[in-house]
Amino acid sequence: MNTVDSGNAASVRVEIDDVQSGALRPRPVPYAGKFLFLHVDDRRAGRALLRRLLPVTSGGLPDADRGRDAWVAVAFTHQGLRALGVPQESLDSFPQAFREGMAARAELIGDVGESAPAHWEAPFGTGEVHIALSALSSDVARLDEELEGARAAYEDTPGVRVIWQQEVRQLPTGRTTFGFRDGISHPNIEGVGLPGSNPREAPVKAGEFILGYPDETGGLPPMPVPEVLGRNGTYVAVRKIHTSVAAWRRFLRANSSSAEEEALLAAKMVGRWPSGAPLTLSPEHDDPELAADPHRVNDFLYREDDDRGLRCPAGAHIRRANPRDATIIGDARMHRLIRRGTTYGPPLPEGVLDDDGADRGLVGVFIGAHLERQFEFIKAEWVNDGNFIGYPGEKDPVAGHHGGTGSVTIPEKPVRRRLRNLPSFVVTRGGEYCFLPGLRALRWLAELED
Amino acid sequence: MTATSGAPQSAHPERPGRSDGVCTEFTVFTRIKPGEGDALRKDLAALSDAGDDARVHAAVRQIGTLHDARHVIFDDDTRFMFASVFDGSWDSYIDDFAQTVVGARFDKVFSHSEGFPGVTDPHVKDWFVAHQAPAEVFLSAYPDLTVQQIWKDQRVDDAFQEVLDTPAFRAALDNPANAELVSSPAFQKLLKEAEA
Repeated sequence: MNTVDSGNAASVRVEIDDVQSGALRPRPVPYAGKFLFLHVDDRRAGRALLRRLLPVTSGGLPDADRGRDAWVAVAFTHQGLRALGVPQESLDSFPQAFREGMAARAELIGDVGESAPAHWEAPFGTGEVHIALSALSSDVARLDEELEGARAAYEDTPGVRVIWQQEVRQLPTGRTTFGFRDGISHPNIEGVGLPGSNPREAPVKAGEFILGYPDETGGLPPMPVPEVLGRNGTYVAVRKIHTSVAAWRRFLRANSSSAEEEALLAAKMVGRWPSGAPLTLSPEHDDPELAADPHRVNDFLYREDDDRGLRCPAGAHIRRANPRDATIIGDARMHRLIRRGTTYGPPLPEGVLDDDGADRGLVGVFIGAHLERQFEFIKAEWVNDGNFIGYPGEKDPVAGHHGGTGSVTIPEKPVRRRLRNLPSFVVTRGGEYCFLPGLRALRWLAELED
Repeated sequence: MTATSGAPQSAHPERPGRSDGVCTEFTVFTRIKPGEGDALRKDLAALSDAGDDARVHAAVRQIGTLHDARHVIFDDDTRFMFASVFDGSWDSYIDDFAQTVVGARFDKVFSHSEGFPGVTDPHVKDWFVAHQAPAEVFLSAYPDLTVQQIWKDQRVDDAFQEVLDTPAFRAALDNPANAELVSSPAFQKLLKEAEA
């Protein structure tokens, strides 16, 4: 393995125009989008589809106006690459997690019980998903424009079938189904020309997110062969997560004695207030003005003022997902991810505490160059355990699967609060590991022969 | 390697090694490069330098998931054994520590073993697995406790013992205002531990 002198790494420039927009761009605000899974019956048909998709697949930096951003992205499961006739040597050169697929890794990442693959929505986890096509835009009209080209491509290609689709759209509140603003945090990646959301975050090496560049270890991320296939690609964990909003509201109500207490308890579990204002900067009450300021809303660390978690609990959702500089086991910079959550389904009307039977939740994409060290590590160590912050066995209060036996510790003086018997607030409906190739690699796939 | 024996609840089912509760044993056998037995012995002596106990244990504390570890040279300086017990799986944090002083020490010790690719090599986990011999039996006296929990328990007990030595605590026990607390089952459990 070649190592690159980190002193020179600052000069790394990512070939951003070859990187699919679906890899690095933050989610537009507001947004509308669509996810489609395709099945390739015939490898030549699959390649013909890719040739038609190439002109509509976007690369490069976002529109300067984040409100006008839009893109189409094309990603592949390992089965999908096989279905396209990618040579065996190349298929075997991908990392084990990707080759096995998300369903095979369910136990490791905590998809057990009602979230186990046996209960997943078809075609998740069946091996039938070959191509994951997604489009995301700042408004519905732009989305239709973007999708039109893609639709023409898959509708006009016999031998390729749409087997699943899911529309996603920002709720009128601009918040998740649980009622919190999301999409705030985005890593500061070296050499891509996109600012991170936290001015205090030292740039993370490009190789943590894009194949072909040095990563935080100083080496190059493991790449599939041939080089043209791997370079400028990355991995995407796509998950559909059902949210039990009524259960969430009932839990908060049952564990507080006033509206103020209820709001604080929810914020302690999430790590931010509904507006997005972080507890670390605004520990007592929501602060919409702070939340609306893009320079301040994510401008914080933990160690200096909040290492014990008296403001933002160490076990809060956003602090687990991104512990920043907090005292933990290991090195948080080895486990960064790009996250894009997008909401599906209707909101549960304000104040309703009973489940209305509607399916609502999010389609989340989790992007990084190392599935095992990033997505899977975060699920196993940070979301589904608490040993790394000194609470062995305690899970993420929001994203963990608790099954009625979870607990959450909220540091407080003089005595911490510990809530027990947490139910699960999320259920995994399904997920797939995908490879999101660079544009040259997409062309290489389209031009495979035999 | 023969049949693996990872416990079903292990977070890394593909990794061999036997678990008891929260912890897993990890034992590796390697061949020492010809003539490097003494050099390895010297490096190990430097690692466990009795004159610098704080430094030696600081490295273990930094890992935070390692219960214990032993390094053994045997078979006339031709073979080496590393035996250890970790919370969860030994490889969860290997990428993290490869970057640190802990990783540098590992690198130095295993550099005397044949074929070691280096601790930052992307295939180092596979190398360890290829040299691992899972235990037939592995038992812990405290299967429910992680290293973090043991440290916390120790801090809590130290503080508790200090409280017991405080005259004001004795007085508080006798104070009728505290009767309700003192008679509660949870507090009685605490007093049971305070008796002896």
